[in-house]
Amino acid sequence: MTKRLTLEEQNKSNTKAMVNNPIVYLQAGVIVIFAVMPFIFPSFRLMDVMAKIMIFTIVVASFDLLLGYTGILSFAHGMFFGIGAYCVALILYHTSAPAWYHIIFAIIVSLVISIGLSLVISFFSLRVKAIFFAMLTLALAEFAHILGIQWTSLTGGEDGISFVLPSIFNFNQSLGTLFNTRINGRLIVYYLILVCTILLFAGLLRFIRSPLGRVLKSIRENEPRAVALGYKTFGYQIYSIVFSSCVASLGGILFSMWLCYVNPDSVFHTAIMVNILLMVLIGGMGTLYGSMIGSAFLIITENWLPGLLKSIASLAPENIIVRNMADRWQLYFGILFVLVVIFFPKGVIGTIRSILDRKQQMK
Amino acid sequence: MNDPILSLDKVHTHIGQHHILQGISLNMKAKGGATILLGRNGAGKSTTLRTIMGLTPASTGRINFKGKAIENKKTHEIARMGMGFVPEDRAVLFNLTVEENFRLSMIEENEKTHENLNEVLELFPALKKFWKTKAGLLSGGQRQMLAIARVFVCDHALLLIDEPSKGLAPIVVDQLGESLLRIKDKTKVILVEQNFNLARQVGSDCFILDDGQVVFHGLIQDLALDKTMMKNYLGI
Amino acid sequence: MTTQTIAFNTDRKLMKTGLNRIIGIGLFLLPLIWMDLTTYLTLTIAGISLGMLIFLIASGLTLIFGLLDVLNLAHGAFFAFGAYAGYTVLNFFNSLGWIETASLSSSLFYLVAALCAAAGVGALLGIVTEKLVIKKVYGDHLMQLLVTVGVSFVIVEILKIIWGVNDEVVPVPMGFQDSFILYGVFIEYFRIITIILGVGVFAVLQFFLKKTKIGIIVRAGVENREIVKTTGYNISRIFTLIFAAGAGLAAIGGTMMAIFNQSVDPGMGDQFLIFALIVVIIGGMGSVTGSFIGAIIVGLSFNYVAFLVPKMALGVNFMIMAIILLIRPKGLFGKD
Repeated sequence: MTKRLTLEEQNKSNTKAMVNNPIVYLQAGVIVIFAVMPFIFPSFRLMDVMAKIMIFTIVVASFDLLLGYTGILSFAHGMFFGIGAYCVALILYHTSAPAWYHIIFAIIVSLVISIGLSLVISFFSLRVKAIFFAMLTLALAEFAHILGIQWTSLTGGEDGISFVLPSIFNFNQSLGTLFNTRINGRLIVYYLILVCTILLFAGLLRFIRSPLGRVLKSIRENEPRAVALGYKTFGYQIYSIVFSSCVASLGGILFSMWLCYVNPDSVFHTAIMVNILLMVLIGGMGTLYGSMIGSAFLIITENWLPGLLKSIASLAPENIIVRNMADRWQLYFGILFVLVVIFFPKGVIGTIRSILDRKQQMK
Repeated sequence: MNDPILSLDKVHTHIGQHHILQGISLNMKAKGGATILLGRNGAGKSTTLRTIMGLTPASTGRINFKGKAIENKKTHEIARMGMGFVPEDRAVLFNLTVEENFRLSMIEENEKTHENLNEVLELFPALKKFWKTKAGLLSGGQRQMLAIARVFVCDHALLLIDEPSKGLAPIVVDQLGESLLRIKDKTKVILVEQNFNLARQVGSDCFILDDGQVVFHGLIQDLALDKTMMKNYLGI
Repeated sequence: MTTQTIAFNTDRKLMKTGLNRIIGIGLFLLPLIWMDLTTYLTLTIAGISLGMLIFLIASGLTLIFGLLDVLNLAHGAFFAFGAYAGYTVLNFFNSLGWIETASLSSSLFYLVAALCAAAGVGALLGIVTEKLVIKKVYGDHLMQLLVTVGVSFVIVEILKIIWGVNDEVVPVPMGFQDSFILYGVFIEYFRIITIILGVGVFAVLQFFLKKTKIGIIVRAGVENREIVKTTGYNISRIFTLIFAAGAGLAAIGGTMMAIFNQSVDPGMGDQFLIFALIVVIIGGMGSVTGSFIGAIIVGLSFNYVAFLVPKMALGVNFMIMAIILLIRPKGLFGKD
């Protein structure tokens, strides 16, 4: 009897904690904003930005699982993103009459490839040291990029592939209007992305809060100690590499479905990897929620910074250097990247957390 | 000539959050053989040497060497002023041969240093035998010999030697004591030492440190007579 | 370790190197099965000269890694910057109309001028990078990887600001476009120059590290910074110098590659960084000899395979890398 009571009490206090926890409201608020946005501001550009933020949130979060929670720096993460993107594109492009089940088929294919490749990669991670692993994955990622460019018969080379989504996802198909907004394939894909993002992000949260995630954290902190405690660290690292690679390739699928177009530079290029790294760093390594802030920040600036710079440059239209400096807005990302790594290595969420921790300690 | 060659005035050193040296003040005269730093483990002896050398810079306090303030100088600048340092744990360069170890320590390779080198090799004949051997393959005693010998090649005004006898067989310690005796006539030496017999053999002036502070200063012969002091701080 | 075990180990090592050598030479001659001797020799010379080009980049990378324990992913950017610097110099001579009429000796002069300019620019870039950025992240591998990725990004963007984003054609001095025939094998002068330069750089590096005083200080500094500092050497200046030297080597490699390919583009750094990484992994991180051997292996296998199975040319290097890593996780000459 007493036992049950305490359990109930515990449940009650849990719900109480949830009600009192501001993070729950924050989560719900963010989801609601993303859900209603297309109806409040039916502009394509805004929707595009929001969809990309969602997609990159899960890609970055999965990368954070590797880098922040397992301490593995893999430059091949962008490659898995690319694999997902190309799987959907190639399958839909090469089938004569694409239907919805082709998307399912593409998901399965990309997951199989990702699992296989990530197993091979994690096998190497057992053999070599961290710095070797980083080099190895960088070489592999660049190889994938070159393959994407040179294997023209399959990938269409640098021109890339554009394709049409089947059945209800088709962008040209209209299903009527709701609140003055046309319900078309694009909107459906948008909500598909929203649902997938919520599910995958919840999955990642579940993963790091599971006992497995805690073991991963202990491995990152002190691997010899984790080994001495009897954990087969290698096995756990494999889990995390495979899981995060799969999430990344699912992100790639969503990305490719949203744009209906892929080319090697848009999914395999090192710049993508640099962007993902920057997003993780800005948000904060090992925080997971940081991925939202990082990707939101980067994608928003990516969309509006070039325009801003151009308008600044128009003040001095004759100067070529000024114009060039305005054109190369990636330069500022690079500088920001270096500055963040050196001066702000904990990122936004990490810094907030350490401030909160310090306050708690003061109490 | 009675000006101190080295003086520390209320030196505090922090390593991370730990307050290691808590106001050390020492004076060392230019003449008069070796000065010994005694004290139990963790008393701050090694840190004192490292602070003088600029490896773990002092947070506050002044350090004077040959009449110049050195607390804000870089390690290599202090070394160039004529301070030699033998770290603990037989610190030689394992991947370099004995010859290269010596060449490294000769800041300038001239006749004077080569002359010194020959003298030093007479003092440590074993090192000559392993001239082309990597230092990592030498025995513990030989490594310690090399670690000390390599600072003798240059003419230093002051030598800081950190626990040379640590982990060596008694017979090797005797040999070491002999070589230290010969050097202390040429150069002023500050020696951190746990081996009281060796310390008494080599040194005259002596400081005892405890919890980052100087608790005794005097001649080592007097200390040997002070049984309570010996028991409290050295456990002998 | 007792003397006996040392002797035993050296014996085993000797036996092993003997065996390895036989296997190596066997693999080296293997392509002869599928091609005639003249083709083989032509490909071999082309392969070795490609290998030497890659060695120029990889040597800087391995130098910086081996001596400073920094994996510099901005190395490709130094390489590209050097290529553009050399291109600018050659373009300048070309605008004077000297390139098209150059004899072999004056071509050599132009090459040396371009290489000097590239090395200077590369070294300067290296010094700035080391002082501003790398200095803050010594000892932390993860931070180094991240920060050098960022630096690479920044340098390439600056490069685009200065020279634009398009491919440019590099004017090749007339003297290098000639070739001579030896036993029925066409040999271009530029290939020979590449090989001489590569071997020369290798020899100079070896001499520098093994015999000179600075070499001793540098090797000592890698092992134990404290001893070097307390002996009286300014280690941070030495580290800056090493970084500058590595960057300069990358820049020289860049100019050579620009002439070799007769073109430059802003993305060339990434592409050849990968080659250099493969070479460094194969050879063993930090070993100059390893990089030299690794570069020759990569250059040769690339050329042989490109002739036999063109589509496999890039893949074969990854396969070699994977195989070598599986057998020797630290690379051919990596220290345990």
